[in-house]
Amino acid sequence: MHIIELEKIHKNYDDLQVLKDVNMKIKKGTSTALVGPTGSGKTVLLRLINLLEKPSSGTVYFEGIDANTSSNVRLKIRRQMGMVFQKPLAFKSSVYDNVAFGLKIRGDKRDIKNRIKETLETIGLKGYENRNALKLSGGETQRLALARAMITDPKLLLLDEPTANLDPISTKKMEELILKINNESETTLILTTHNLSQGQKLSDRMVILNDGHILQSGTPDEIFRKPKNKFVADFVGIENVMNGDAVGENDLVSIKTDSIQVFTVTEKRGNVNFSIRPDEITISKLKIKTSARNVIQGKVQEIIDTGSLIKLIINAGELFTVFITRDSLIDLEINIGTPVWMYFKVSAVHVF
Amino acid sequence: MANEIIGAIEQAIYLIVTFNPELIEITIRSLYISLSATLIASLISIPVGGMIYYYDFHGKRTLINLIQTLYSVPTVIVGLFLFLLISQQGPLGNLNLLFTPEGMIVGQVLLILPILIGFTITALIGVSNQIKELAIALGANAYQTIITIVKEARYAIMAAVILGFGRAISEVGVAILIGGNIRGFTRVFTTTISLETSKGNIELSIALGIILLAIALIINLILNYLQGRE
Repeated sequence: MHIIELEKIHKNYDDLQVLKDVNMKIKKGTSTALVGPTGSGKTVLLRLINLLEKPSSGTVYFEGIDANTSSNVRLKIRRQMGMVFQKPLAFKSSVYDNVAFGLKIRGDKRDIKNRIKETLETIGLKGYENRNALKLSGGETQRLALARAMITDPKLLLLDEPTANLDPISTKKMEELILKINNESETTLILTTHNLSQGQKLSDRMVILNDGHILQSGTPDEIFRKPKNKFVADFVGIENVMNGDAVGENDLVSIKTDSIQVFTVTEKRGNVNFSIRPDEITISKLKIKTSARNVIQGKVQEIIDTGSLIKLIINAGELFTVFITRDSLIDLEINIGTPVWMYFKVSAVHVF
Repeated sequence: MANEIIGAIEQAIYLIVTFNPELIEITIRSLYISLSATLIASLISIPVGGMIYYYDFHGKRTLINLIQTLYSVPTVIVGLFLFLLISQQGPLGNLNLLFTPEGMIVGQVLLILPILIGFTITALIGVSNQIKELAIALGANAYQTIITIVKEARYAIMAAVILGFGRAISEVGVAILIGGNIRGFTRVFTTTISLETSKGNIELSIALGIILLAIALIINLILNYLQGRE
């Protein structure tokens, strides 16, 4: 059984459609990142899952139960969840009272002092019990928020842009804590982020949202290697995205752009988008024989030092991005304007 | 005339520093009545204000407007209204509240309820909606959410209570119409001042006035302190 299932969810605010036909299933114990630009609807989606808002139409199921049948059911289900909001928030009271909140309202007071002590230790606020929660820094407040949500041992932990308001060091601490929860507890995690690499780091499934639609969901690897459409490809920062006409009799097709021809294996025909992963392109100055099906010549247009690797922009009619090591750059004696050959296998081409 | 006033002030101070029995008695009675009224009104208005704040219902805006209008209802109107209710021929005549301290307490409760409810609502609205959602998201039910918000707004609500007390202790209309200014029984600051002044007995009036002013000053200090805490 899935812990959360969303069925044909629509959400409107007056005339504004924020979510359009969202369907989603979340497995127990997994970690899912809802990723999308600002205004894509990911926060609303999280609030619908937390039952803070009701969908305009469609159904939210929690462990197979329709969650919005009555306010009692909602409360019962919500008490099995934890939520951390984007803005670091604390009640006007001590750190202890803040962390105790969820336990007290559930009437769960057994061993409360020790549990709070342990939780504060876990999140790195050891001995903070009697401090005024309003005087904590943003990063500390956000970790307090995580402690407050975690201490009730929720089946589902929801994190809305948990690091959006934090500095880099606090962000790193927060991410480490989230990873720890993900690895060490049975809790199912759903978080929203506009930061792709954070989504990749903290989740085992990513859901890409834009304009109220789910564009794609899958493992980070699937999303990065096989984006389903141009938006996802652009959003995940995929290099070498091109457009052309696919023709072919069998599985092997040739895709012709205005200036080059690329071979790949796909069932798609007609006008398609495709991408070539930069790390699967090898280059040489003289043409060599390889098993790679695709061989394209171009001229180095730009050499960018990214730190560990050198990024080359190669003009072959289409612009290609290729990464090489600093040693190769020197060995191959590559300068701007140097003609080079690029080689890649049919499997390096992803059509969408 | 100026000499007379200075002489009266001297005598008033004399009455205060010598703990004049009548002065003490009136002070205690005034405080008892107005503090009781404030306590009762607070116990009613904080939950009522909390519910009006929390629940969305038809006519909520109108109700709040009505409450705010009643902030400045003349005290004699409240006195008259209650007088008609509890006089011998009135519908609540058999409660025998007329010309009793208890009747005055009821009158002052009615008088300050609108201020207390209204300012409670304002105080609760002043708490960020995010705190309300935080409480709900952490699993609070309606009652627990209201309690949480009231706690967040505690200083602003205390300020409302203090303001209510200020209005209760300084009003004359209810005290005179419902209390009747009976010596040793329902006589309070304001009614004594008005009676003794009209009799030309201004030392006692001034002495009571000084105490009333001192109370106002203390109230103001507490209010300032609470607003500083906000």
